[in-house]
Amino acid sequence: MKILRINMTNLSVRFEELGEYEGLGGRALTSAIISKEVDPLCHPLSADNKLVIACGLLGGTAAAMSGRVSVGCKSPLTGGIKEANAGGQAGQVMARLGIAAIVLEGKPKEEGTYKIYINKEGAKIENDNTLKMLPNYDLVEKIKKEFGEKIACVSIGPAGEMKLSGASVAVTDMELRPTRHAGRGGVGAVMGSKGVKVIVLDDAGTTPRQPKNPEAFKDANKRFVAGLQKHPVTGQGLPAYGTNVLTNIVNEVGAYPTYNFKEGRFAGARKISGEVQAELEKQRGGNPTHGCHRGCVIRCSGIYHDKDGHYLTKQPEYETVWALGGNCGIDDIDKIAMMDYLCDNYGVDTIEMGATIGVAMEAGILKWGDADGAINLLHEIGKGSYLGRIIGNGAAFTGRAFGVERVPVVKGQALPAYDPRAVQGIGVTYATSPMGADHTAGYSIALNVLKTGGFVDPLKPEGQVDLSRNLQIATAFIDSTGMCLFIAFALLDQPETNQALVDMINAFYGWDMKDSDVVEYGKKVLKFERDFNIRAGFTKQHDRLPRFFYKEPIPPHNVVFMVKDEELDQLFNW
Amino acid sequence: MRIKVKLFGGLSSQRDFSKNEEGDILLELSKPVTVAQLIELLELNKKPFIVVLNGVILNELSTQIDSNSELSLFPPIAGG
Ligand code: SF4
Repeated sequence: MKILRINMTNLSVRFEELGEYEGLGGRALTSAIISKEVDPLCHPLSADNKLVIACGLLGGTAAAMSGRVSVGCKSPLTGGIKEANAGGQAGQVMARLGIAAIVLEGKPKEEGTYKIYINKEGAKIENDNTLKMLPNYDLVEKIKKEFGEKIACVSIGPAGEMKLSGASVAVTDMELRPTRHAGRGGVGAVMGSKGVKVIVLDDAGTTPRQPKNPEAFKDANKRFVAGLQKHPVTGQGLPAYGTNVLTNIVNEVGAYPTYNFKEGRFAGARKISGEVQAELEKQRGGNPTHGCHRGCVIRCSGIYHDKDGHYLTKQPEYETVWALGGNCGIDDIDKIAMMDYLCDNYGVDTIEMGATIGVAMEAGILKWGDADGAINLLHEIGKGSYLGRIIGNGAAFTGRAFGVERVPVVKGQALPAYDPRAVQGIGVTYATSPMGADHTAGYSIALNVLKTGGFVDPLKPEGQVDLSRNLQIATAFIDSTGMCLFIAFALLDQPETNQALVDMINAFYGWDMKDSDVVEYGKKVLKFERDFNIRAGFTKQHDRLPRFFYKEPIPPHNVVFMVKDEELDQLFNW
Repeated sequence: MRIKVKLFGGLSSQRDFSKNEEGDILLELSKPVTVAQLIELLELNKKPFIVVLNGVILNELSTQIDSNSELSLFPPIAGG
């Protein structure tokens, strides 16, 4: 496997050995490269920043679930290190091309709209101004005409070209639609700052990567898949309803942030739940059970059709439905699906946009529940109007622009779909993750609410720091393998499935990794990230929730966030 | 005593209870019951995995249910 360095200043490409990065994949690789090679004090949109796109350790192999792709940089949203990952086909395709990471460096001397084509012969950079400001769906259609359908695309929409801090990097799915997004932290703005509109990956003539020990690898993969299929969540719940099955449970336990985190329950939750969504998808000829990349055996994704039975968007995820729905008082699932499509098309993060629209509603720009107004705000981003540029820069920026006090962000990044007062463990993750408020970084909901891997009372502060620490370490490892994080539900409950994953990695690389090595691997990744952030000027005061979470009790439980600052400061003292 | 039961994620009762327009089961019981007894009474198609009583996740199904309580039942589910 090689690193492909693309220098956008002199428009040159260079393949090089992994060298000191040998043994790293996915998030470990993006965070190591950013931590070692990027000046932590640089402007995120400057030539000194780098955008790293990396497949996981098991990318391009026959391992199930191994198609995630990590995108890393210094974040324009948080000012710290960022890794955002996505499904879709790109991770598998680049790995089959023998590329562990694509590193975009420098910045074009003259403005341009560049496309980069990579196949087994090498990489080519071309300025193509006909692609300028195309939304992601139109862009991919145009690229298909030029390169055919057996490709994968990594692209940005107009938001990325405008270098807005809420901009995402889109990855095409199995149907070659730009539906999977490395959404968080404004990674799309960094791609835009490099002048790169799209990377076209073509793996024609390549074969899957081969393990060192094929028999042991095959056996471990078989045990791993059987474990995922046996577990009720990965084998039944997620395929049947997708991630949006969480709406009802999070609402029932009073942790569903509503009206910009004012209440913990939303009266319209059932209308936008995964159960309703899956039923609609079936009725309209969509599909509630669909994989976002080849080799996914959980298939939590889906295809959402409009009232006339035409494709509208991929099945909106729980986070999206919450952000653009309940958080804004919107209970119309079709309008939420339309907003999901617009976010994908213009290339913005759905969580950041939902939180931002909530802040805009708090500012009185729109009324709570005004779905058409929210749709119009997203169109403003596509138009590049001044208002659209404010919204597209996220919740913190919008809060400042309109003088809003209650802005739900940590390190400048919007909080996801679980109120940290009603689920104290996730509050610890939001506060302390090097990524800013990020639920995936240490998904305490699994134990605080879903009773996967045990139970830690969500309403009490005790035990939450240990819980979040352990999950953050484990997640840093899983994010490095290229595996979808949803395997964790089976891993937490079934030691034999956990072992199958480790066996698979060992068989592939000829390693002898033990559980303790997995923990050290995860810690190493977090150390790269913490170290970068400290050098970028972050202090322990940045590892805090906004103060209103400590002062405003949230109904129905009427609790505030109770984990003490001194306890938060112990999270990385392992 | 009155109890409202909400079933989610493909759970359903095999008995014919009266329901509100949202499909929640409305029970009128003559004597107090525990959560475990109520679940048995419901004759569900699948065993519930997450049990929420008045917004609180229960670990112990021997909890007595007060009148006017809401019980929400879920199979194993997850997302993110
Ligand atoms: S489980 Fe869902 S998110 Fe994960 S790889 Fe499969 S479809 Fe994609």
